[in-house]
Parts: sequence; C-alpha cells; structure tokens
Amino acid sequence: MKTKIFRFIICTSLMFVFSCEKELLTHADYSEYTFSSLDEKGGLWKPVLLSAANQIVIPAPKDVTSVEYQAELRNVKLAMSSLSSKQREAIEYWTNNPILRWNEIALELAAKYNLIPQPNPDGTYTLPDAANPSKYPLFPYAHPPYTCRALAYLSVAQFDGLISAWNYKYQFNRKAPYDVDNSIVPAYSKTTLPAYPADGAVVAMASRDILIAMFPLEKDYLIAKANENMSCLTWAGVNVQSDVDAGAIIGTEVAKIALQRAGNDGMRRAQAAKPISDSIKTAAVKRFGWQWDNQEVPVRGVGLTPLFGKVRMWNVPTVEEVRPPAPPAPGSAEFQTAANELQEIANNMTPEKRKIANWWSDGLNTYTPPGHWNRFAKDFMIKYKFNPLRSARTFAYMNMAIMDAGISCWDAKYYYHYPRPIQTIPGFKTIIGTPNFPAYTSGHSTFSAAAAEVLSYIFPNEAQQCQAWAREAAESRIYGGIHYRFDAEVGLTQGKNVAVYSVNKAKQDGAE
Amino acid sequence: MVYLAILICGVGALRAQTPTDDLMMPKQDICIALAYENGTWDEYWEGTMLRSNANIGTFTRTAIMPMLAYGITDKINFFAGLPYIQTEATGGQLKGVSGIQDLSLALKAELLNQQAGPGKLAFLTTVGFSTPASNYLSDYLPFSIGFGARELSLRGILQYRFDNGIYARGAAAHLWRAQTKVERDSYYNNGYYYSEWMDVPNALNYNAAVGVWMFNNSLKLEANYMGLRSTSGDDIRIYNSPQPTNKVEVDQVGFFAQYYFKSIKPLKGLGLLAYYSKMTNGRNMGKFENFGFGATYQFGFSKKQSTNEN
Repeated sequence: MKTKIFRFIICTSLMFVFSCEKELLTHADYSEYTFSSLDEKGGLWKPVLLSAANQIVIPAPKDVTSVEYQAELRNVKLAMSSLSSKQREAIEYWTNNPILRWNEIALELAAKYNLIPQPNPDGTYTLPDAANPSKYPLFPYAHPPYTCRALAYLSVAQFDGLISAWNYKYQFNRKAPYDVDNSIVPAYSKTTLPAYPADGAVVAMASRDILIAMFPLEKDYLIAKANENMSCLTWAGVNVQSDVDAGAIIGTEVAKIALQRAGNDGMRRAQAAKPISDSIKTAAVKRFGWQWDNQEVPVRGVGLTPLFGKVRMWNVPTVEEVRPPAPPAPGSAEFQTAANELQEIANNMTPEKRKIANWWSDGLNTYTPPGHWNRFAKDFMIKYKFNPLRSARTFAYMNMAIMDAGISCWDAKYYYHYPRPIQTIPGFKTIIGTPNFPAYTSGHSTFSAAAAEVLSYIFPNEAQQCQAWAREAAESRIYGGIHYRFDAEVGLTQGKNVAVYSVNKAKQDGAE
Repeated sequence: MVYLAILICGVGALRAQTPTDDLMMPKQDICIALAYENGTWDEYWEGTMLRSNANIGTFTRTAIMPMLAYGITDKINFFAGLPYIQTEATGGQLKGVSGIQDLSLALKAELLNQQAGPGKLAFLTTVGFSTPASNYLSDYLPFSIGFGARELSLRGILQYRFDNGIYARGAAAHLWRAQTKVERDSYYNNGYYYSEWMDVPNALNYNAAVGVWMFNNSLKLEANYMGLRSTSGDDIRIYNSPQPTNKVEVDQVGFFAQYYFKSIKPLKGLGLLAYYSKMTNGRNMGKFENFGFGATYQFGFSKKQSTNEN
C-alpha cells in the first residue's frame, strides 16, 4: 500500500516537474519555402567586390538533350530513388536557402571561439596566433570586431557569388531536372529559376572557404558541411552534378577574391603590441587629460584590438568623417549626472532592467551583438520568404554596415580612450562584465543602430521594431553598469550615420 | 558551481529530522529550525582542474535557513524549507546577489525499523520537491543563489544502529531537475542553442555517516560524506563563466554535532547543532569549506518519544 502511494506520488510529481520541458532548438526552425520573388534581373545587380557579374568565368553547359546531361539526370534519379533517412534529414536541414544555414554556422563558430585568453601563471597574457591556431589560446578569439568582420566577408562573398550565378543562370537558361524530366519530384518547391550554375553550390563553397580562413581549426567540419550541402542539391532533384560543379567554381573563386581583401584590410595589425598601445594611450592623455585602464587582475596590458579603427572600411571613405565629438570630461557636471544615474540604477535594480541587461549582453561565449542582429535578419528573411540572392544582399549590406560601425566605434574608443564606470566610480559594481576596451562609444549601440538602419531599409514594415531593439540594446549597457548614457546615445547616432553610407550604396545597386 | 539545494536542507544543516537522516517524529509533533551557514572558496574546479581567478578572489556564500517538520503519522513526516542566500566575492567588479532561493517540500516514510541482532535496522524513503521561490537568475554564476529549476528527488536511507548508540547510515538519491529559464534566448553548450531554457543535469546524491548517540540520546556526534554526480552536462570552458548546464560533481566530508536539551525542563524540546564540511574533490564547482550552526525546537500534542530515540 505504502509503495503504491509512493509510486503515485513519484509519477504525478515527475509529470508536474517536467510537464513544461521545452524542446531546445539548435538551429532556426524553418523548412524550405516558396520564394516571394526570383529576382530574375539579379545578374545585373552591382557586386561589392567583383568588377562585373561575369568576372568569374564558367564553361557553357551541355544541352539538356546531350548524352552527358541525360547521364547526369539518370544519376539524380538513381540517387533520389534510394535516399537514406540521414540523407532526407540533410535535405530538410539545408533547405532551398542554405544562406541562412551558413550564417547560422558562422554564428555558432563565433560563439564557440568567443573566449578571452586566461592569464599565464606569471601574470602575463598570451594572444592567439593565426600562424599556430591550435596552441592555447586557440585562434581566433572571436570577439565582436573579429566576428563582425568574419560575417561581413562571408556575406559579401555569398552576395557577389550569387550575382554571378544569377547572371549565368539567365544567360544559359538551363532548366532544372524536374522541368526536363516530369517524373522527378523535387524535395524543394519548384521554381522557374534556371539551374546552371547551382546557387546552392556557390553558397556552399564560398561560405566554406571564407569560414575556413576565419576559423581554421574548423576546416574538417566546414568541408563536411559544404559537401553535405552540395550533395543535397542533387538528392533533392533541383540540380544535376554539372550545375553543382559550375556553382562550386564561382564559390571557390569569389571566396579567393574576398579573402584577398581580408588579407590586406589591416586586421592583422589590429591587436597592436604594447608599445603601440601605450603610445595610443599617451596621445589620449595629452589630448584630453584622461585615459582608460584595464581593471582586471592581472591587468591586461593591451586593450582589445586598439587598431581596429584603422581597418579598411567598406562603404565609408574615411573613419574621421564619422568620428563623434568628444565626451564630457570625467568630473564635469555632465559626467557626474551620467555617473549618478549608473549608481541610481545599480542601487535600485529592477527585474525588467536586469533582464534587458542580460538579454542584450551577448558577451563572451556568445555570438556577439553582430551575431544577434544576424539572427534577427535571418528571421525576417524567413518571414518574408527571401530567395538566396536577396538574403545574401541583406546580410551583405547589413554586415558591411555593422563592420563599418565597429571600425568607427573602435576609432572613437581608442581616440578618446575614455575610462569605464568601474574605473571612475569608486567601489562601483556591475551585473555584467566590463569588456577590455575603452567606454566611449558603446559598441552595442553602434553595431545595433547600424544594423537597425539597414534592416529598416530592407524591411520597412519592421523598421519600428528594429529601431526599438537598437535603443534597448543601447540602454542595456547602462543597466548593466558598463556604459554611461552618453556612450550609448552617441553610439546610436554614430551607428546610424555610418550605416547611411551602406544604405545609400544599396539603393544604387540595381535591386530596387 | 551550481549550488545544490540539497546542500542546504539535506546535507549541511538541520540534522534533526531532515529528509536525509533516519529520525522520525511522532504524529502531530512539530519541529521548527533555523540555521546559519557560511561557505567560502578561493579555488574552483574548471572541469576537473582546480584553479583560482583573481577577479573573483575569495567567494563567500551565506545562508539563513528556516525549516519546518511535522509528523503526519508516526511513520510519515512532512518537511518544508525556504533558505535565504547571499553571495559575494572579494575580487573583480561583479556584484553579488541575495534573495530567497527554493521552497523545498518533502515527505519521509519509515518503511522498516526492527531489532536485528545487537541493534536496530531501519529503512526509510523520502520524496522531495523543490521549486524556485523568487526570480533569482540561475545564469549568473558563480553568484547565482540556485540552479533555478524545479527538482524532484527520491531517496532511500538505510541505517543500522547498535543498542549502545553507535550507528552507520547510507543514503542514495536520484535528483531529477527540470529546465531553468535564463534571461537570454541563445547560448553555447557544446553547440549553439536557440532557447531561453537550459537543461539542468539530473544528478545522483550519496550520503554516508558514522556516529554515536551519547548521554542518554542527548548528544549526537557524526562524521559524514556527501557525494554528488550530475548524470550529464558540459564542462566550464577555459576562463569562462560556469552555467546551469554544467556537469557538477562533489565529494565532501564533514563533521556534525547536535545536542538535545532533554532533562532541563524549561529547555525541553530545544536542540542546538553545529557542523563543518569541506569539499575534497569536484567538477565545475567552487571548492567550498562550510560551517554552520542552528537551533531546533520540537513540540507536539503527542506524549510519545521520537521513534528512533527510544
């Protein structure tokens, strides 16, 4: 009797405890979908890096009546007739817009590598070494400047590659397998988009090679992902092998072109050595009479990427033209008002403010604020059923704007070298960690305003939401205790100003 | 470094009639208890590697633990506890937190208690349930005051007590933990997750104790061991913050003393307790050293003595 009662109690309690268990998603919850438009004129859009849509050359395809094509078609049908459940899962995972999946993979790698190096036993710090990536600390340390740059190159390569693909698709007009052979039922929605070259293969190869360069220790993982992505194109019945091979050529070549720019954009020098970092600090003291100092124990001798502000921008001619005015001097009345507000918030923390601070924190071990905005963009693309080309365009302009905003923000950070609240307010404690770089202006605010500006242009119906998010992201840093209000507000203006350059360029690219 | 509700109401304090011991109260008896506990560490296990972090320095956690026990019948007792916890660190600039942690409820049943050779053999079982009692953030480790999820526990307790007062006890429990809601909608846990919810690993919990009752069952002295093993979870990554998904393991040894005022009339029903414990081994957990003390007061409408004290 007693055991029965206990069994009953256990069963009902287990149900109560676990009745609300949530399924934990590891990727965006979407399936293949019918594109809202095909952008048939996409081959005429202006690429970012390519001089023209036909700069990368691919061979003319064989006709669908040729012996070679018919053999390829038979192979597609053979593969489709014996798909394993694992292959079916892969087809479902990749969908007909793998741009979204590759963006997601990039965000996952950003989070995985977003770990700050620990101190050595003697109190010094070792930095990641691109030449020896597997030696601790692993390369890269995917902090926000690193991640925003990786995302920009990824998106630009995808975008230029797809403009090139669209150009050839409508030049050669080779039909999709299911339009050649009615017996083929594709796994993805039928479109009238010509199949040669395969846009999926462009995306797979371009993404693979950019991400291998950015995350070299993930090479095997990325190669496997790209192979699976490309295999799915024939398994799904939307391409034959020669479509895929031609797409792979474009993807490979466009990645090379993008990586050539990346190799010379100044990022290599961004994590300056201590003497340079010290001279930057000295210059600020001379100019303004204040300086930022890292407050960790042991002290980090160099802030995060002091020369990221010198990295080559995408759409802004010079970083100086978007540099914000100087912040109020520490100790001034305006400064004191901002400092008092931080103490007031800390002493009267509310659940709402705490949640906002944490919600936007996007700190170590996460995909960073640029990653957060990529996630929003992805959700909008799914909602508005964007085709791969238009998705790539959105990511490209948004991530160029975000990276430009980051560069501008870092320029301000190290030009003004402004101390953080934990340095200026004695005994001040925060509810989120203070990053290893100067305060003014707020990176979150700048990144977010830039992203919101581009998304507002692309998705006018979401503009209000995006602007509200950007303001909340900016506010979150004040609630967290790591930024003064002027860091956040000026950062918002700065991010918006920077993004206008990208939006203006987008308006001229032929996509409207 | 996930804090363990079980450390508070089960293993550390309040040995007078807790869900993990052998003591039973007679029907309609009530016991109220209050204890204070202080735990500190200046090293923690990152995975299984013991390390320090100057930006935490010495970490301190203090708890005030009120608790209530009630004899539903002589063989079934009910427990409730509601700790208040405060955390802080001497290093770095992160703010400590304080608040009410989890409400825990338990039912303990004595299934066997009979003479066997030179002593008595007892077997008891406990079903426990706990749930966060405030909106504390579990995802603010190491400062979080709890793991922020509901827990169900099922425990078996076996004790042999010689007629001369010496005893040995062992207990094993399975702890089922639900998910904890955090204040972000994505996180890394050996792969990226798009959710506001984190899995808190289930765990196994072991206790062993040897002790003695002295002075006509007025004084109890005990040496004990507590082990905890998460059955899944990830390790803290290098120099990264812990999170509720971590795989937690603990080995802890301790000493416990309790005195009941039995013969002094005005103090009858009152008990005093003190304890000390130290972690010897762990994983993804601060290497705590704890001490605590408290008082219990038992009163009731029944004339019967607590069954195991007879």
